[in-house]
Amino acid sequence: MAVAAATAASRGNGGGGGRAGAGEASGARKKKGPGPLATAYLVIYNVVMTAGWLVIAVGLVRAYLAKGSYHSLYYSIEKPLKFFQTGALLEILHCAIGIVPSSVVLTSFQVMSRVFLIWAVTHSVKEVQSEDSVLLFVIAWTITEIIRYSFYTFSLLNHLPYLIKWARYTLFIVLYPMGVSGELLTIYAALPFVRQAGLYSISLPNKYNFSFDYYAFLILIMISYIPLPQLYFHMIHQRRKVLSHTEEHKKFE
Amino acid sequence: MWALPAWDPATINIPATMGQALCLPGALCSNLFWHIQCVPLPSPTRPVAWPCYPCSLEGFSKLCPEATWLRRALSSAVTTGSLARTSRVLALSYPHVHDGVEILDAKTREKLCFLDKVEPHATIAEIKNLFTKSHPQWYPTRQSLRLDPKGKSLKDEDVLQKLPVGTTATLYFRDLGAQISWVTVFLTEYTGPLFIYLLFYFRVPFIYGHKYDFTSSRHTVVHLACICHSFHYIKRLLETLFVHRFSHGTMPLRNIFKNCTYYWGFAAWMAYYINHPLYTPPTYGAQQVKLALAIFVICQLGNFSIHMALRDLRPAGSKTRKIPYPTKNPFTWLFLLVSCPNYTYELGSWISFALMTQCLPVALFSLVGFTQMTIWAKGKHRSYLKEFRDYPPLRMPIIPFLL
Repeated sequence: MAVAAATAASRGNGGGGGRAGAGEASGARKKKGPGPLATAYLVIYNVVMTAGWLVIAVGLVRAYLAKGSYHSLYYSIEKPLKFFQTGALLEILHCAIGIVPSSVVLTSFQVMSRVFLIWAVTHSVKEVQSEDSVLLFVIAWTITEIIRYSFYTFSLLNHLPYLIKWARYTLFIVLYPMGVSGELLTIYAALPFVRQAGLYSISLPNKYNFSFDYYAFLILIMISYIPLPQLYFHMIHQRRKVLSHTEEHKKFE
Repeated sequence: MWALPAWDPATINIPATMGQALCLPGALCSNLFWHIQCVPLPSPTRPVAWPCYPCSLEGFSKLCPEATWLRRALSSAVTTGSLARTSRVLALSYPHVHDGVEILDAKTREKLCFLDKVEPHATIAEIKNLFTKSHPQWYPTRQSLRLDPKGKSLKDEDVLQKLPVGTTATLYFRDLGAQISWVTVFLTEYTGPLFIYLLFYFRVPFIYGHKYDFTSSRHTVVHLACICHSFHYIKRLLETLFVHRFSHGTMPLRNIFKNCTYYWGFAAWMAYYINHPLYTPPTYGAQQVKLALAIFVICQLGNFSIHMALRDLRPAGSKTRKIPYPTKNPFTWLFLLVSCPNYTYELGSWISFALMTQCLPVALFSLVGFTQMTIWAKGKHRSYLKEFRDYPPLRMPIIPFLL
């Protein structure tokens, strides 16, 4: 879900470039864009994020080479992963103050689902950190985010290499299902430990007449992944429109 | 362009400073369309013409919005050079002639319908009815007709003659989707919580453990809470049937699912805890409950008073909007400080209910309701400010002095 969110054509995080698909295909929309100061800040932000996720990517590779196996690589990149993924919360602020033309609600939803997985599942339930499913979504996220942030950087500078655009709209075909599987498997793996420890749960009776069962909540979260295949096929459809539109543009150049 | 009938021109001098109102001879400004032709002097070129809205008998005084339109149009023509400051403006007036109304789809521009023999003084409502005859699946409340495909919807009361359209009026149609009446939605969304709460209160089987089926709570506050909650929703139902006067008849059908999920869902969630066998009564006991109950009753009375006051502002069947003012009823004195005191009282009711039951889900429900009502109150406040020049400045949207 979080992977899909990040690669969803509808999310923008810089210039008009983020608004792919409908935005670029129409062109009838007036692109006001952020002012020069905001653009500079956003370029810095996106460059920093690209660098951050590259650090995570390199960290994964180095850990794999050092250990000789792909198990339990999470521990080697735990800190930068937490730092840079949590840093994405700023993107909600960007939408709220208007320097990025995306919907606050949509962006919040996407970023919060990522942050939830990092902190409320992986960090909180220590036993799942050695699971392979964690590696699955970390790799998916890493590749997606490197491409996404460099896409935004180039868009803001009005010089988007076709390769980046192609990558953004093509690699999701593999990365999206990969990421969703990793996330779902991780949550599923966490369930028994949550039940056992009564993690984040409160039961009756208590002073505020309230109860919360984190186990049931996680199951609801898993159920909420159900509409994602629909989004996936929508994105594939959008891809055809966006990439063919660019092809036509190139013909006229 | 229209074929111009015989016209009676008069010459208007564009004033030296465009800020001044233009004065037109009285005969020109009547309740008919008029059409300006500009014949720039000293070298007359092709006339430039703009159709415009009819103006009042006052002529181009500051009160007439069309004056601003014209002033701007003329001053921009002067700026671009198609008119000189010394140009003379010929104006003519003639009754607007229509030979029909065509309705096009706003998205595909496909011609959906052509209505001939439409009276010039026909209203949009009448045109909608005529359109339904040829397309019965699009009943009038489902139609949005506009002059521009991306523009605002025309109101039902708008008269065809007063719209800036050509001899064949072109209107664009958008389907608003299946509609449902406000009354139906309100009745459904309020009956749910009333009924659902009682299911939990009477501890109907399969909610709590089987040994609790049909048992009764031993806490007084639980019975009191049931009475308050039920009273609140019965009041809402009665107000929907007998008090409220709605501006719009309908809303999109999907809203009923959204609204019912919200009301019914929260009612079930709150009722579950309040009527739970393991319910814990408030920390400060009877004192807390009595205080909360008093506030609740005051807010219910207040909310009802405001609804009655708003009803009395508007006569039956009309859609007039007036500034609400305090009446003799002390509960309405909150109008001095707040634009939407009904929401203020509603918030007070739910906060006091949360205090009475000392139940976190109720507090969360109040918070969500507060957020929504604040959005509505701010919108209402803004539209009051836009519509009425003399709107009392002390008033805030929902919380006195604060919000």
